[in-house]
Amino acid sequence: MRAFIATTIIGVFGLNENKKILLYKPFPRDPEKIAEKLKLSEIEFIEEERFVRGELNKSGYDEVRKGDAIISEFVKSNLRKLALEKKFVRDQSEFNQLLTKVNIQLAKVQIKKAIGRGSLIIHANGAVEELDKAINIFVERLREFYSMHFPEMDKAVESNEKFAKLVEKFGRRENIDEVELKLLASKSMGADFKDEDIQMSQTFAAEINRLYKLRQDAAVYLEKVLKEIAPNFTELATPMLSAKLISKAGGLERLSKMASSTIQLLGAEKALFRFLQSKGKSSSPRFGLLYNHPLVMNAPESHKGKIARVLAAKLSLAAKIDYYSKEYKADKLKQDLQQKVKGILSSK
Amino acid sequence: MKAKKTKFEGVFEINGKFATVNLVPGFKSSNEELVKVDGVEYRIWDYFTSKPAAAFKKGLKIFPLGNGNKVLYLGLAEAKTASFFSDIVGNNGIIYGVELSERSLREAVRVCERRGNMIPILADARRTELYEDSILDKVDCLYIDVASPDQAAITIRNAQQFLKNKGWVMLAIKSQSIDVVKPPKQVYKECLQELEKYFEILDKVELDPLEKAHMFVVMKLKK
Repeated sequence: MRAFIATTIIGVFGLNENKKILLYKPFPRDPEKIAEKLKLSEIEFIEEERFVRGELNKSGYDEVRKGDAIISEFVKSNLRKLALEKKFVRDQSEFNQLLTKVNIQLAKVQIKKAIGRGSLIIHANGAVEELDKAINIFVERLREFYSMHFPEMDKAVESNEKFAKLVEKFGRRENIDEVELKLLASKSMGADFKDEDIQMSQTFAAEINRLYKLRQDAAVYLEKVLKEIAPNFTELATPMLSAKLISKAGGLERLSKMASSTIQLLGAEKALFRFLQSKGKSSSPRFGLLYNHPLVMNAPESHKGKIARVLAAKLSLAAKIDYYSKEYKADKLKQDLQQKVKGILSSK
Repeated sequence: MKAKKTKFEGVFEINGKFATVNLVPGFKSSNEELVKVDGVEYRIWDYFTSKPAAAFKKGLKIFPLGNGNKVLYLGLAEAKTASFFSDIVGNNGIIYGVELSERSLREAVRVCERRGNMIPILADARRTELYEDSILDKVDCLYIDVASPDQAAITIRNAQQFLKNKGWVMLAIKSQSIDVVKPPKQVYKECLQELEKYFEILDKVELDPLEKAHMFVVMKLKK
């Protein structure tokens, strides 16, 4: 004889083929425990299910099945009634409370599983980009600030990082230990700073230098995560660009499901929609973020579009490999790509 | 200050703004304003950020939600709009909220935990088989606010599987998600034509300018 097991939030039911309930083993009235049991029940026979199966076996049912669609549907549609009958809850409102609590637990488990390491790329990339922005703003302010004291240095030192380092290290313009700057300092038209003014500019500069260090650490970390999560894609696209592409796409999973033509135009959405809405009057964009790839950047203007297209094709392959198989095939892809690019460049 | 009843069950009007009675007094489900009138705490339902409220403002005639209703809500997001539904259906009702994005659902879980009549489900509304086990009841009302080109198909599929006979459907048609190139009016027309095969369309309002390129539709399942 055949019997069925149906597991619900109020416990485990044993039924015969005519949908008659033979047995009921309630769960403990604790939403967290119930959620745990339901989750476990997806992969194995849990304690209550083993008990029901054992009892059914004893009463002569030699074939006991779990997860039959029709039986589950039957129990599900009668569950509110059953919960009252079996005195698991007093009323519908209590049943709703239980149902919500159990499902919230289940949702939490689902969410935990859904948070993949892939999002790390998006956040690390965001951190790098925002640090760049912040550093720029601060350096601008530092340059204005320090220029009151030593205006000539603003033009003489172009690198922001060097500027901040010099200010932190030397403070007063007379102390600067660089031939060119020393000369400028001796004839400076800048105002004299009090000690506290100098101190403030030095503290500010030190803080900026710390941000530079942080930015560098974030970039190193980003590259490490990229190589772990998307090794093929990163090898083909260069780390900074691959981080930007993955962020723009909203993660590696989405990127891997994109057509290569979509990847080709990532970052050119505005131009693309302008083109679509003008019904062909303006020209379509040839590339978006891919413009920053060395292969595209170094190509002659007339070939850039074509190269962006083959690059995008290989990138979409690499993204798919990274998301689905994780095998390292970047060398082969790179070779193919270079061959194709050579072909394009040699045609006129 | 006075809380006036509107023609819709559970929806009030305070100083020209819509409001519901807070099911969990003192608890803000998002950043909405809480107002006390005659000892009852109301939550202001902002028509700039919530589509049903925008539809009220634009003169919606039918709003089928009531106390004790069971609702399937597709596109739960951070449970902002759904929290007002939760106020209206009360402790005897229940809202099954389906959301695709794990990031949004994290915010929604916080709300669901306090409200006690909302169920968060992480799933794709296109694939009903992924969440059919979680939905115990045939629902009275289906609400759809998903950004997807196949909105109409999602509506039809979910309605056929989970909705009661002659059950209600509320749908926010997002013309920009269906087709950015076509003018919204044409998108609405095509979408409604598709829906008419399965539903009786009873009321519709365009939400411009409160919600750009959206139409709010209230309909009933045929059969």
